[in-house]
Formats: sequence, structure tokens, C-alpha cells
Amino acid sequence: MPSDAIRAALLRRLQTYAAISEEDTRDILALPVTVKKYPAEAAVISDGQRSTECCLVVDGFCVRSKTIADGKRQILSIHIPGEIPDLMSLFLHVMDHDLSTLTPCTLGFISHDALTRLHHRRPNVAEIFWRDTLIDAAMFREWIVNVGQRPGPARLAHVMAELRARLKVIGRVDGNSFEMPLTQEQIGEALGITAVHVNRVAKQLREDGIVELQRGRASVLDEAKFRELSDFDSRYLHQSPTS
Amino acid sequence: MPRFHFDISEDDHFTRDDDGREFEDVNAARREAVETGASIARDSFIAGKVEHVVINVREEDAPLLKISITLEVEDTAHATC
Repeated sequence: MPSDAIRAALLRRLQTYAAISEEDTRDILALPVTVKKYPAEAAVISDGQRSTECCLVVDGFCVRSKTIADGKRQILSIHIPGEIPDLMSLFLHVMDHDLSTLTPCTLGFISHDALTRLHHRRPNVAEIFWRDTLIDAAMFREWIVNVGQRPGPARLAHVMAELRARLKVIGRVDGNSFEMPLTQEQIGEALGITAVHVNRVAKQLREDGIVELQRGRASVLDEAKFRELSDFDSRYLHQSPTS
Repeated sequence: MPRFHFDISEDDHFTRDDDGREFEDVNAARREAVETGASIARDSFIAGKVEHVVINVREEDAPLLKISITLEVEDTAHATC
């Protein structure tokens, strides 16, 4: 993958969320990025580890998660190309959760030193990255509401609707369908229900003609029903520089 | 790893699990069934749609476990002593 394409993924995402000047763009594109390939379900950085670089998802899907004493894992967020899931590690150096790949991934690593230098040179870029971590926090708030309050079918539909809204920004929604490369076990870990319950919910959503999950893709069958069930309002994603 | 099937009944609505799922042993399958039953019951009971959730676990066609969860609400304000 040409190196410009790697930074372009980041730039495209940041531009969606904030206005970026030409000078700032030039410096973002000049960031030194070390690209590495990862297999599916591999640890990128683990809970308790000290971090010296941030990870840009160039291609593939990642998740952040936390595992409790009895071994059960809670998936906290799903990450798509263009995102830097561990941006907070720039200031919080010891990881308080795991970052791992969901699918085979191409990841770009940017050293904390390079990012800090960029922030000092370009305060606007620092603000953009700050804004990015605030949106990250807004997504966590929504995730808590979803897992804490919605019943299974709405919970699954909401995660799907959010993923679709974010994939749309990077041009990865194809008509009524989009990638959702999670196994039923992983969806269960995201929603806080068992894989068997996920299976039951997925069957119900298909039978009700709302949405279908098959081989890592979600296809919305009835847009109106899907919207009503998911109770999704994209406001918390702040997908425009002025929102 | 053995494969277990989890057939689910919510009142008279039956969902057969044709695919099944692998678990380490019967204990792991039991834990999954209990948690699934409790979780489905939570959703359905709160929605007020269902009062009885049953999970039948089988290995292939051999029945293994039946987990049954029932909602019982008694109106104690008008109960006679």
C-alpha cells in the first residue's frame, strides 16, 4: 500500500470531524508511520503494557476490550480504518484495556514523540486529536447506555447502526449492506449476552425482516423498521466539523 | 470438542438450533444455557410478552439438559390470609 494511502485514511477521518488547514494537512501527511500486518484476533497492545506509539487502523477491524477475573471479555468498541483507537495512550502511557485485531489488519504505528512534536508545532492539529478522543468518549457513553438499557434485539441493532454510520464516512457501505466481521461469540462479548442469545436475536431479526447477519456482513432488510428498533441518533458521533 | 444444540422455547414460540455450537464439556454448555435462559427471560419478561422460557440442550439428537425459567407474579394486595 503506498504510504500516502496510509495517511490519507487518517486524514479522511479527521476531515470529517474537523476543518483542517493546508499546512496542518501537510504535516499530518508527513507523519512517520511504521506499517505492520497482523493476523485476525491478535493482540496489538495489552492491558498493563506501556505504550510508546499510537496505532492507526489502515485496513481491517480492531476492538478494544477488557477481561475480568473469571476470563470473560467485554468488547468496549469496534474500530475501522482511519481511526487511532489508542490515541489516549499519548497521555495515558500504561494501557488500561486491550487493543486487538478482529480481522487480518494493516496497522500503522506513529511514535508518541512524533505526535507530540506535531502537536507542539500545530496547535490546531492537537485540538483535532483532542476532539477525536472526546468523540471516542461520547461513543463509550452511548455504548454504556446501549448495554445497560436496551433489550437484546435493539442492542444489536444499535451497534449495527453505529457501525454503518461510521463505515459510511469512509465509503464502506454498499447499498443496504456493510461489513460486520464479528462472530456470534464476539457480538455476545460486545453486547454482554451469550453467543446462543445472539444467535436467537439474529434469527428473530431475520424472521422479522429487519436485518440479516451473514458471513461477516449485515444487510438491512427494512430501513424503517431497522431505524425504529435501533433507536439510533448519530448526534453523538459529531460527524461534521460544526456539530 | 463436542457440539451442543440449544433449542429455545418462549411460551409457545419454538426456535430450533440446527447449527449448534462447540463447548469444552457439558459444564460449559450448562453455563451457556443457564446464562442464555436468564438473559432471554430478562428481555422477554420485562417486555411482558412471555412468562416461560425453556432451553433444551442436546448433543446431536440426544437430550442432555432442560433449563426452565418461569415468571410468577402474585397480586398480594388482595390475597386472603
